[in-house]
Amino acid sequence: MSILEVNHIEKHFGPTKVLNDISFSLEAGQALSIIGSSGSGKTTLLRCLNFLERPNGGTIAVNGSVIFDAADPSTQIEKDIREKRLHFGLVFQNFNLFPQYTALQNVTLARELRAKKKGGESREEILQAGLALLEQMGLADRANHYPHQLSGGQQQRVAIARALALHPDILCFDEPTSALDPELTGEVLRVIRSLAEHKTTMIIVTHEMAFARDVADQLIFMDSGVIVEQGDPKEVIDHPKEERTRQFLARYADN
Amino acid sequence: MFIPVTLSLLEGMVTTLKLFFLTLLFALPLGLVISFGSMSRFTPLRWLVQTVVWIIRGSPLMIQILIIFYGPGLIFGLPLLPRFTAALVAFAVNYACYFSEIYRGGIQSVPQGQYEAGQVLGMTKTQIFFKITLLQVVKRIVPPMGNEMITLVKDTSLVRVISVYELIWMGETYIKKGLIWPLFYTAVFYLILSGILTILLNQCEKKLDYFK
Ligand SMILES: Nc1ncnc2c1ncn2[C@@H]1O[C@H](COP(=O)(O)OP(=O)(O)O)[C@@H](O)[C@H]1O
Ligand SMILES: [Mg+2]
Repeated sequence: MSILEVNHIEKHFGPTKVLNDISFSLEAGQALSIIGSSGSGKTTLLRCLNFLERPNGGTIAVNGSVIFDAADPSTQIEKDIREKRLHFGLVFQNFNLFPQYTALQNVTLARELRAKKKGGESREEILQAGLALLEQMGLADRANHYPHQLSGGQQQRVAIARALALHPDILCFDEPTSALDPELTGEVLRVIRSLAEHKTTMIIVTHEMAFARDVADQLIFMDSGVIVEQGDPKEVIDHPKEERTRQFLARYADN
Repeated sequence: MFIPVTLSLLEGMVTTLKLFFLTLLFALPLGLVISFGSMSRFTPLRWLVQTVVWIIRGSPLMIQILIIFYGPGLIFGLPLLPRFTAALVAFAVNYACYFSEIYRGGIQSVPQGQYEAGQVLGMTKTQIFFKITLLQVVKRIVPPMGNEMITLVKDTSLVRVISVYELIWMGETYIKKGLIWPLFYTAVFYLILSGILTILLNQCEKKLDYFK
């Protein structure tokens, strides 16, 4: 059984259709990369999965149970949506760290708020878990730094730790290195690669073709809100079947 | 002469301070309510609130004081409000409108991504407001609020148009007695007040300096 099944997702803003009949599935422990030119709907797709946007059509199932069905309002109750979000984590293009909190506090805040409401973990456990995550990101010595005291690459790694802290089933990345200086992309990609090696289920929207080809188990090429081609990353990138994919990849090869 | 003058000016100062603090007490929360109105998704309400704010910010406070004091009597034949109360109403409403614009700027300057980052982490709207956005808003509004408060210190002197015996009024009473210096001496009181305010606000800003 797939950990994630997305079926016939549609999304429009007013008259413009941004996502059109998007369907795919993802197995536990696998990484899916999504590529496509700017404006093709990649961000919107991730936002739909995290319920920052509500799809106008289609279903989303996690671990075999349908958590969202556009045709069934009982799956869209705000309070439940908040819990359902926790199946997914999202790492934003521009980090969106909370500036008034240290790296460690950024990682632990949400979990502490949950523990306060629902009981469970002690503060100490949450802190230890947060520190362990920062260490895993190579940031043990930055735990007490504020975001503005960190480089972009460090900030993005804190953001990854923050997303991991709530143990999402599926971690989504929206162009995690696009806002970074070229010399800082490596450290972030290394962290994502090691997550893939540890069998973290991930969806990675990226323009780093070599990275996607190398790390992902599955690749989707999107254009104008539809999935044009999907399959094994090496297969799609080295031998694209569709003309649109070929053109897109050719543009990247030129750059 | 110096000590009696100082004492009677202090008496005026008490009225000035009362007006200052009571205005803040009412205008700070009222301003927040108005700012929510001016950001409302319900268009008629938003327009109404924005028009009121425009009228009040766009016309002299002195006129507003006069209207609130004399208006009800002239238009509806109602009894006059006590002078100080009328002054306070005019000040609270006027400053609430200024504050509302500052709040609005502060709230709107928090990037959408901050709310979304909170949402994605399963936080409730209340948690997001109190744990994430509030402090960022406060940090952004402290400097402009400080400016308004210092303006308020000096604006309190306007209430003498309806004969509220504040600091400058007390200073002016000496002119009839042939003494001009007490009037200028009142400036010292304003300077001390705004000086204290400046120091407090600077400390506030410093306290919030640890993040950007
Ligand atoms: N909130 C919105 N309102 C209207 N149009 C939007 C909104 N968000 C995205 N779009 C449009 O949807 C299309 C896809 O955007 P996006 O998902 O950001 O693409 P990508 O991430 O692939 O660059 C774009 O044409 C964009 O202008
Ligand atoms: Mg995008």
